[in-house]
Amino acid sequence: MMLQADSLHVARSGKEVLSGISFSVDAYEVYALLGGNGAGKSTTLLSFLGFLSPTAGSVLVKHTDVYSDIAAARKAIAYLPESASLYEHLTAQENIAYFLQLAGMSASSPAIDAALDRVALSPNARRRKVGGYSKGMRQKTAIALAMLRDTDILLLDEPTSGLDPNAIDEFHQTIRSVADSGKAVLMVTHDVYGACHAADKIGMLQGGKLKGEFAAEGHGIDIEAVRKAFSATVVPS
Amino acid sequence: MSPIWLVATDEWRFWLRSHIAIGGMAVFLVLIITTSLLAALRIEAETYARINQQDEAEKTFLTQPDRHPHRMVHYGHYLFRTPAPLAQFDPGLDLITGQAIFLEGHRQNTAMFAESTASADFGGLSWLSPALVYQLFAPLLIILFGHGSIARERETAVLSSLLAMGITGRKVIAGKTLALLSMAFLLLLPLIGSGALALSASEPVSSVFLLFGLYFAYLATWVVLTLMASVVLKERSAVLGVMAGLWLALALVLPSVAVNVASNTVSAAGKIASDLVMLADLQELGDGHNAKDPAFKRLRADLLQEYGVEGVEDLPMNFRGVVAMESEKKLTDVLNEYADARMHAEIAQEKVVAKFGWLSPVLAVARASRAIAGTDLANYHHFQRMAEAVRFDFVQGLNHAHVHQLSYRDDINRNRDEDARLRARVDASNWRVLDAFRFQAVSVSERFGNASSAVYMLMAWLVIMLAILFWRGDKLTP
Repeated sequence: MMLQADSLHVARSGKEVLSGISFSVDAYEVYALLGGNGAGKSTTLLSFLGFLSPTAGSVLVKHTDVYSDIAAARKAIAYLPESASLYEHLTAQENIAYFLQLAGMSASSPAIDAALDRVALSPNARRRKVGGYSKGMRQKTAIALAMLRDTDILLLDEPTSGLDPNAIDEFHQTIRSVADSGKAVLMVTHDVYGACHAADKIGMLQGGKLKGEFAAEGHGIDIEAVRKAFSATVVPS
Repeated sequence: MSPIWLVATDEWRFWLRSHIAIGGMAVFLVLIITTSLLAALRIEAETYARINQQDEAEKTFLTQPDRHPHRMVHYGHYLFRTPAPLAQFDPGLDLITGQAIFLEGHRQNTAMFAESTASADFGGLSWLSPALVYQLFAPLLIILFGHGSIARERETAVLSSLLAMGITGRKVIAGKTLALLSMAFLLLLPLIGSGALALSASEPVSSVFLLFGLYFAYLATWVVLTLMASVVLKERSAVLGVMAGLWLALALVLPSVAVNVASNTVSAAGKIASDLVMLADLQELGDGHNAKDPAFKRLRADLLQEYGVEGVEDLPMNFRGVVAMESEKKLTDVLNEYADARMHAEIAQEKVVAKFGWLSPVLAVARASRAIAGTDLANYHHFQRMAEAVRFDFVQGLNHAHVHQLSYRDDINRNRDEDARLRARVDASNWRVLDAFRFQAVSVSERFGNASSAVYMLMAWLVIMLAILFWRGDKLTP
């Protein structure tokens, strides 16, 4: 088990945001947490990163309680915030090289180029500063960085919001290939169709509670069932 | 490579790719180099002029012909204050205090201002010194460079990536601090140029080092303040607004408030008011020009008794000279008493202003800078005391010649005819009572002592702010 939330309760500014959610993500697995605004999706990710202490329950990364060794948990995780966070004054290559150095790693230019090839960032774009990139190009750069960091776990916060349909497809393919290489991917999103397309398992989050889980069976996840469940979470009857 | 070093080098890379940062640095460099050059040229010219004027004044005095010695007491003499070598960096009070003083018998004259060589001086436009540029404008550059250090990374969510990678907030802040401190160090390089010029004018190297260290600590304080705002506030615009407001408060408002509080809490009589009170006291001492003034009755009686003679004309010395000497001594005691009271009032006011250094590092650094440069109030008082010592010595030296080289009889008959007038003169060699004068700023150890309390204030600012910054750094969140 790469990630595990066990009866997790988290409060922010005195208000309970997560109310006892439990789920887990294995290696080779893409888990999508679906939910409307304020459901507690991003809070869940921040809990795994050790930014928000649980008021009850626990969060485990590779079987170890995050808050017993935050540094170890963070080393095992590559995190992509909603707006892929990169230094705008640097090129894609410089960004990747810099972040790898900060992580205590080094990567040669050919290795960085190879990673950028895998995410299909054009060679021309790689020489430009990230400040002029589209969101899709930033996501690709961030994914390339995550691949080079070679962490076991990838956390993605609304990774496809603002991307055009083609970029979303490309992104899902990339995520799938990352998971297929043995990583555990946890993404939070409100993109029902994207989640069904890319994930192996979907958790439906509403008001800080996990209202249900959908797993891929046969030809994948039942999109219609997920859509209905999602509609129920965002438009309460 | 350590994350701290990596963060610092990336910050430099950001600045070198930012047109605003490079533009700001270029403007500052032009400003500091220009003011340093102009100040150095100005001080060099003033030093040369005042040394020449001093030599000329001494030559003029010494080449006076044989005369009645008391005429020379009133002929007087000028003393010129040559600028301290570091005045080219921080002219301090030199700009608003007199640089020349006319010495004569029975009076302590006020130091006068140097003549202005350009009408633009009247507006104070030429008062911008390298010290003022560092005190007022360098912090603005640090704010420009540093306001986005953390806030920018929070706005672009890079901070969350850094923290999520396991880079601690304290390391991120340490890296940013290192970058800004290295920039502050570079900003101070022109100060080394001013220091080198001062060294060539016999300034001890220790004071140049201390001055450099002082300004580095001052700029470091602004670095820490800026970073703290960048850590606490969420957006760059908010950081910039708060820091601009803080700069206004610390650099412009508080110094003005401090001066007003000082002048309102410590009363100092004005020159005219105190001179009127002093005049009444001086009148009680008697008129030193009039040997028959009742104030000297006792002196006359004592001398007549001591020498066993009936009249002052039988004394083996000139009684008029004795009266002049005694009168000058008593009068000088009163003059010094008033001068001391005035200086104490000025020092008391300065102490009130100095206490505001706990509230504003600008006030603390300005005071310490003036003290180290030898251009502070203590140094001005030192000049006034030196001038008074010279005045008293030369007046009493002339009175001594009056007592012993001119007979009482010739003296009282000096206006009878031309021959009598000629007999009432003493040889011009007596004018050599005047020693050559070169103003020397107070000693380095005394200057360091005068600067110490302001330096402690600045260090307190720096240490407390650094502690808060790194304590806050542990709690840094995306």
